[in-house]
Amino acid sequence: MNQRNEEGLLLSVENLGEKLFRLKIYSPEIAKKALPGNFCHLRVNESYSPLLRRAFSIHQVETEKNSFELLFKVVGPGTQILSEKKPGEKIDLLAPLGNSFSFPEKDENTVLLAGGMGIAPLFYLVSSLLEKKFDPQKISFFFGVKKKDEHLLVNDMVSTGIRLHLATEDGSSGYKGMITELFFQELRARRLKTKRTRFYACGPNPMLKKVSEISRKFKLDCQISLESHMPCGVGACIGCVVNTIKGYKRVCKDGPVFDAREVILD
Amino acid sequence: MIPDLSVKIGKVKFSNPVLVASGTFGYGEEYGAFFDLNKLGGIITKSITLNPREGHLPPRTCETPSGMLNAIGLANVGVKRFIQEKLPFLRNLKTKVIVNVAGSSIDEYVEVVKRLEGKKGIDLLEINISCPNVKQGGITFGSNAKCAYDCLKAVRENSTYPIIAKLSPNVADIVEIAIAVEKAGADAVSLINTLVGMAIDLEAKKPRLSNITGGLSGPAIKPVALAMVWKTASKVKIPVIGLGGIMNTQDALEFILAGASMIQVGTGNFVDPECSVKIVEGLKEYCQEKKIKKITDLVGKLKT
Repeated sequence: MNQRNEEGLLLSVENLGEKLFRLKIYSPEIAKKALPGNFCHLRVNESYSPLLRRAFSIHQVETEKNSFELLFKVVGPGTQILSEKKPGEKIDLLAPLGNSFSFPEKDENTVLLAGGMGIAPLFYLVSSLLEKKFDPQKISFFFGVKKKDEHLLVNDMVSTGIRLHLATEDGSSGYKGMITELFFQELRARRLKTKRTRFYACGPNPMLKKVSEISRKFKLDCQISLESHMPCGVGACIGCVVNTIKGYKRVCKDGPVFDAREVILD
Repeated sequence: MIPDLSVKIGKVKFSNPVLVASGTFGYGEEYGAFFDLNKLGGIITKSITLNPREGHLPPRTCETPSGMLNAIGLANVGVKRFIQEKLPFLRNLKTKVIVNVAGSSIDEYVEVVKRLEGKKGIDLLEINISCPNVKQGGITFGSNAKCAYDCLKAVRENSTYPIIAKLSPNVADIVEIAIAVEKAGADAVSLINTLVGMAIDLEAKKPRLSNITGGLSGPAIKPVALAMVWKTASKVKIPVIGLGGIMNTQDALEFILAGASMIQVGTGNFVDPECSVKIVEGLKEYCQEKKIKKITDLVGKLKT
């Protein structure tokens, strides 16, 4: 028995912008075991409404403080309840769950693509790489959002010295358009190396569908982190499947990280 | 005093009346990481069919008020791989193992049952004649008393394991089906499977499930399940196994009072992986507190 319900203690709730929240949760077990790409399955309250747990990527871990963070946008009643929690409240968690990103070699280049809340696991990944003394100049981060105020954590990233490429759909900051367009332009203009380069992406499904197509076309070694409604979160119900060239795979147990070239999204 | 929670179905003695429902507990391994599975009365596997099934296109599930819909489409590894890959894990457990069997023809049910016959590690079979999500079979056997009888009769003649028939609530009269399968030789009935339901994404003007309709489970269906268990329990002599929205000890006790000899936890496993073992503990505590020597003394003791 290596997995169990954890009771996390909520340390802080920060409102980072319109409907955007960051929770810091105290849990020594999770802080010790978590890896970039893992997710946590939590109950927003003890009632049966909403009934099911919610899955969130682990966003950041502070091992020495025995805490980890979640980053989310309020999209429905579950996230609404979560955003109204107060420090000191207990949270029922199952974590860390799922697989994790496989890391690049030290001499390889790293390219990350985040769309909207896709920043959550990728920021954790990039922080882990920097902590392991990867060269920031070998890391390119593409981050696309709808409008400027959703560009979270940009200042934190600028200070690390990684190569940042920003896009907004309304043009209020950086490239105007989708992040996949900017990425594709850079790729086609050969401003991004594809050999000895690891690619990582997380974001809404239409974006990941594009990334998956581009990865197949350019034969990119690309890992994508998927999102799905997960009733159980542990591989039992087979409800959260994604189609792949090897048949249906469970996002919760076989993923959430998949090879972009193998996933078939519609 | 340590209360006696044991229950018998056919010749099989369970240490307690708490089972985990088919389709919500995989093949056991997934939840083995969370608690000692031997604390359960028994484990019911995902439905096994003759050939492997990929299942329906996603999205396969969606949440509804106090419930959820699913249309998994009986995704499973098929009987051959079940025996080779999944049964070895289950065989090593002390808890009772119930293999759920589904098919799209009587021949398929019989073939699966024949292949499971005599395999070490299996204690009982649960025959799923009530899946609402596959076009052929499943529920068609469970929605007509004659078909239910024929299916269970054929299974009975080809198996020496005790047999539970899992019944559908999507019928005019569940009692009639229960009586039919009892006549066919079933050792117990379990009810209810999920209720046919639907959810719509207004923005997209699309159903939320790719299969359009799915099976509703969770606390939302508990009152329906209780009523059906109560009606059925007074009309059959074989044990009734109750399920439908059981989330805690109180829910389990309500089903027992209504006439259920055993209960199954389904959707509750998703909400709390330890839901089922907490109910085992809760039943023990309740019996101690109320000075009930045997849990079987409570079955059907509803005052009406």
